[in-house]
Amino acid sequence: MTTATKETTQSTITTSVKEKIEKVDRRDAKLALAHIYVAFIALFLGGIAGLLQVLVRSGSFDLPSFINYYQVLTVHGVLLGLVLTTFFIMGFQAAGVSRSCGTFTDKQRAIGWAGFWVSTVGLVAAAAMILTNEASVLYTFYAPLQAHWIYYLGLALVIVGSWLSSLAQVMRFNQWRKEHKGQTTPLLGFMVVVNNFLWFVATLGVAVEVLVQLIPWSLGLVERVDVLLSRTLFWYFGHALVYFWLLPAYMIWYVVIPKVIGGKIFSDALAKLSFMLFLILSVPVGLHHQFTEPGIDPLWKFIQTILTMFVVVPSLMTAFSLFATFELRGRELGGKGIFGWFKKLPWNDSRFLLPFIAMVAFIPGGATGIVNASYQLNELVHNTIWVTGHFHLTVATGVALTYIGAAFWLIPHLNGRKLTKRANSMANCVGILWAIGMAIMSGAMHVAGLLGAPRRSAYSTYGGSEQATEWISYQVAQAIGGSILFIAILIITALIIYVSFFAPKGEEEFPIGEVAAGSAPTPAILENFKVWGVIMIAVIIFAYTIPIFDIINNSPLGSVGYKLW
Amino acid sequence: MTKQKKSSDDNLKGTLFATFGVGLVIIIVWVYCFDLFIGRF
Repeated sequence: MTTATKETTQSTITTSVKEKIEKVDRRDAKLALAHIYVAFIALFLGGIAGLLQVLVRSGSFDLPSFINYYQVLTVHGVLLGLVLTTFFIMGFQAAGVSRSCGTFTDKQRAIGWAGFWVSTVGLVAAAAMILTNEASVLYTFYAPLQAHWIYYLGLALVIVGSWLSSLAQVMRFNQWRKEHKGQTTPLLGFMVVVNNFLWFVATLGVAVEVLVQLIPWSLGLVERVDVLLSRTLFWYFGHALVYFWLLPAYMIWYVVIPKVIGGKIFSDALAKLSFMLFLILSVPVGLHHQFTEPGIDPLWKFIQTILTMFVVVPSLMTAFSLFATFELRGRELGGKGIFGWFKKLPWNDSRFLLPFIAMVAFIPGGATGIVNASYQLNELVHNTIWVTGHFHLTVATGVALTYIGAAFWLIPHLNGRKLTKRANSMANCVGILWAIGMAIMSGAMHVAGLLGAPRRSAYSTYGGSEQATEWISYQVAQAIGGSILFIAILIITALIIYVSFFAPKGEEEFPIGEVAAGSAPTPAILENFKVWGVIMIAVIIFAYTIPIFDIINNSPLGSVGYKLW
Repeated sequence: MTKQKKSSDDNLKGTLFATFGVGLVIIIVWVYCFDLFIGRF
């Protein structure tokens, strides 16, 4: 073979390998799409429940007699807080691993499908209990409210299914590592594994709560439940759940956005360090959700407050890294002055605009989160609708709008269609509507919360109380904002149907950025899961052993179950 | 001595100020709530 022929053959092979890895394999795409479709059905149904809630709270709308407010609230929380997120994450991560590390083996894909079906069966079981009014206990399912045991079992199955899906992704990543010994791991694949690791350790808490406490109690095998222990186990899981939602949004911000804007990832090492810090700091902070609970020593609440505040570090590292990516690209395009680069960003591209709006919303979301997690300031906002306003900025905008923006290019990538110009413009409208609706709704929630309005509760004038009268105009504002958001959800649903089944056939890119040429190499320690795993477990043992020992050791009689609906 | 012209591509001043801006939002929200807290409790 001549040298020229050799080179041509080599070039053909390289192109072929490149094409293979740049396009998610069709079989993996089906797995990812199955998850994503369930997620967006959940968004539509959960959105209807959200609209009903804000209308009820405005005081000018009554639900039909066959459904009650707390049922609607449970549907909203479970579908959007658990189903939309978990299913989208597993779908996006499956596609992300397949794209960055290579196609799943048949065995890995079969495990992924098993995970999907186990989760889906669990979802149907839990949904059946909510719809038959057997489980109006909200997505936090706080004891002593007692749901039907099938509800708890259903949620447990959703989690077990997600473990299987995660396992498939981790196996593919490990396979890549074995095949590429000594090489720096693909950033997206690495991030997926961090998130799965975090998810597995976090869900152990809620798994113990559900399997050891709530299912035997709801089956009548034991009469009473230790309420404080159940809530502590829930929040061991519950705050890490927030990071499980957030890290896939960060994956899109760190890895996808640089490619979309034509720039580079600022630093592979900084991104990996930030994810490892999230890994060790996400779980041992749950007590900041329980500041008002008696029975937990204030010292441990204080210690977990400090650990919570450390999360600011990787958050600001992320902010810096993203701004740097934007600035370097904007200056390349001729942006001058301190902020001249800002104008050069691709504002008409929905793949950028929607995540960007999400990032902006996350800034006040993070700031209000620091108030929630400040030991004393929490007294100001605890159980008020301020908290609901906070997580509608973080999860319902920072996270959800990033997922929505990603779905508009990811679905066509996976099913061989195109995001057309018109669809892109509609997607931009969604982003703007979402920003307006959420600013009104979440803003009104924050103000009403500072005025003392409670979260979770249905409309009430509280016997004509003067203080409750102050909240009503803000509740009307929430209904206006919520209605705008619902219009956005209708457009999103239409767009998802369009890009899934009607958009023209073609190739849509799965953008993955390259690391900037001048950035420092990634130290091997940042990719050593054993080291970071040990640190994570050590911090969790430190933060939780004594509080849980105290709770069990000083446990009262426990509570029987209540069904107040 | 010749002056070396710094490439504007490597300028991250905007990033620094924007990150400070994020910190400033955090501080303003926290101080506002702290003031309310002190006034009420």
